[in-house]
Amino acid sequence: MLEASGLMVFYENMLALNNVRVRCDDNQIVGVFGANSAGKSTLMYALSGIMEDIKKKEAMAGGERITIMGEIRFMGQDIMALKPSLRAKQGIVLCPERRRIFSESSVLENLRIGGYLATTSQAKETMEYVFQIFPALVKLKKRTGGFLSGGEQQMLAIGRALMAQPKLLLLDEPLLGLSPLMQAILIRGTKVIRDQRKIAVMVTEQYARPVLPIVDYAFILENGAAVMEGTRDELLSNPDIRSAYFGV
Amino acid sequence: MEILIYGIINSIMLALMALGFALVYGISRVPNFAHGAIYVLCGFLTWIFVRSLDLNYLLGILVALVLTGILGALMYRFVLIRVRGMNISEIIASYAIGLAILEGLRYGGFKGTTHTLPVFVEGSIIIGDIPVDYQRILVVLIGVLLVAFLWLFTHYTRIGLALRGMAQDERAALMLGIDSDTMALVAMAFGCMLAGLAAILLLPLGNIVVEKGYDVLIQAIAVCIVGGLGSWMGAVLAAFLIGFAQILTTVYLGSHFQMVVALLAIIVTLILKPSGLFGQQKELEERV
Repeated sequence: MLEASGLMVFYENMLALNNVRVRCDDNQIVGVFGANSAGKSTLMYALSGIMEDIKKKEAMAGGERITIMGEIRFMGQDIMALKPSLRAKQGIVLCPERRRIFSESSVLENLRIGGYLATTSQAKETMEYVFQIFPALVKLKKRTGGFLSGGEQQMLAIGRALMAQPKLLLLDEPLLGLSPLMQAILIRGTKVIRDQRKIAVMVTEQYARPVLPIVDYAFILENGAAVMEGTRDELLSNPDIRSAYFGV
Repeated sequence: MEILIYGIINSIMLALMALGFALVYGISRVPNFAHGAIYVLCGFLTWIFVRSLDLNYLLGILVALVLTGILGALMYRFVLIRVRGMNISEIIASYAIGLAILEGLRYGGFKGTTHTLPVFVEGSIIIGDIPVDYQRILVVLIGVLLVAFLWLFTHYTRIGLALRGMAQDERAALMLGIDSDTMALVAMAFGCMLAGLAAILLLPLGNIVVEKGYDVLIQAIAVCIVGGLGSWMGAVLAAFLIGFAQILTTVYLGSHFQMVVALLAIIVTLILKPSGLFGQQKELEERV
């Protein structure tokens, strides 16, 4: 479904992504694990095209010079030249790190704004679905987004991304700073979404253990390079990877 | 009684002047310093259509509004898009456009006090014992309707919701497929049409003069700063605050102090609460 190869991102002369190759097949949950500043978010931004927007803004303001190279193919089509809004239209929707909820809008409104790309019937159907997989949101419908807890915000962020009718959902550190209970709810939700909606998911995390049960395939990022890849069992059989990312 | 009635009227007039500016800034964070010029330009356009070309008044108004909207869109597409995100350049660029329009109009012979637009409805009504003309009543009614319409538009339509999403977090909106440049263009066109609409409603009360452009710009900025930049409801509330303050000043101190009120309001707000009455976005973001 998605295949990126030779992906390089430079901030000035600093190499943030070094010749990264990742892929995600239909109906697959792919994990991308790596430490802080390993390039996870940069990868997500590069895939969703947000990097192009950041690059444009930096160039306009005379800030950092950002260079993006490589190839990204989505459903057989080269999308490297597409603007982020067009990539979202094609079906790559990013649910960003730190959630970026519309903090002054209510939960319901956040979802409605998310439904910008959906038709009226799609929006209605998806909204019901979001409340079905995250029932905790039902009671909070009228609550302002900024006043939700971190976990509630994350559920909302995933729901909002679903409203945009993704084919590939990019989740950037969805579990960051959440309680184990909330993490379990979100992980279960992610799996249900994949199983029921046939949406491929690419999820990044620093600490792989909570996500591990649901990933089909994973990549390990280190200093901007994809140093390891493999199925869950392949990664678990490597003792270095095991101690560094899985804590077992 | 006089203070109450004229306070309300003045407040709504201010709100009308400021809404376009608040809308554009709220959505695209571009301070449109050509706002006043657009206001005057739309007035003169209507004047040309109605007085010179003898068009039907309503038709003339509609054409002028559409032209103003298109002008706003062009302004964004060809000038502001290049400086977006750089505050000083945005101000310089938009103010330059405003100056060019206003002084261009003056150069083109639109000066003196001979340009007037007809009022929509002649006559006046006595409320209490204060005579109020129908045009002012109409301004109040349309002003209220417009605020209600804007509220509905931004809460229940797809474009309106997208605009609000973008106003709150541009990058998050981008991830959901909301194209920021298209939305900023829409906001700019819409904001300019609001400025034009304000002009068409308010200009029949006096005559169309180029200087009005600078005046309207200052009033709009004052209202937006007091209300909190980027907050539309804050702008409406601030319009009432400044509107009543202006009328009180006129009654008790004399009408030549009226302009001071807006400028003083800017200074006081910036000293006491720089984010304005409703500029609370930052505080919310810090939570969690």
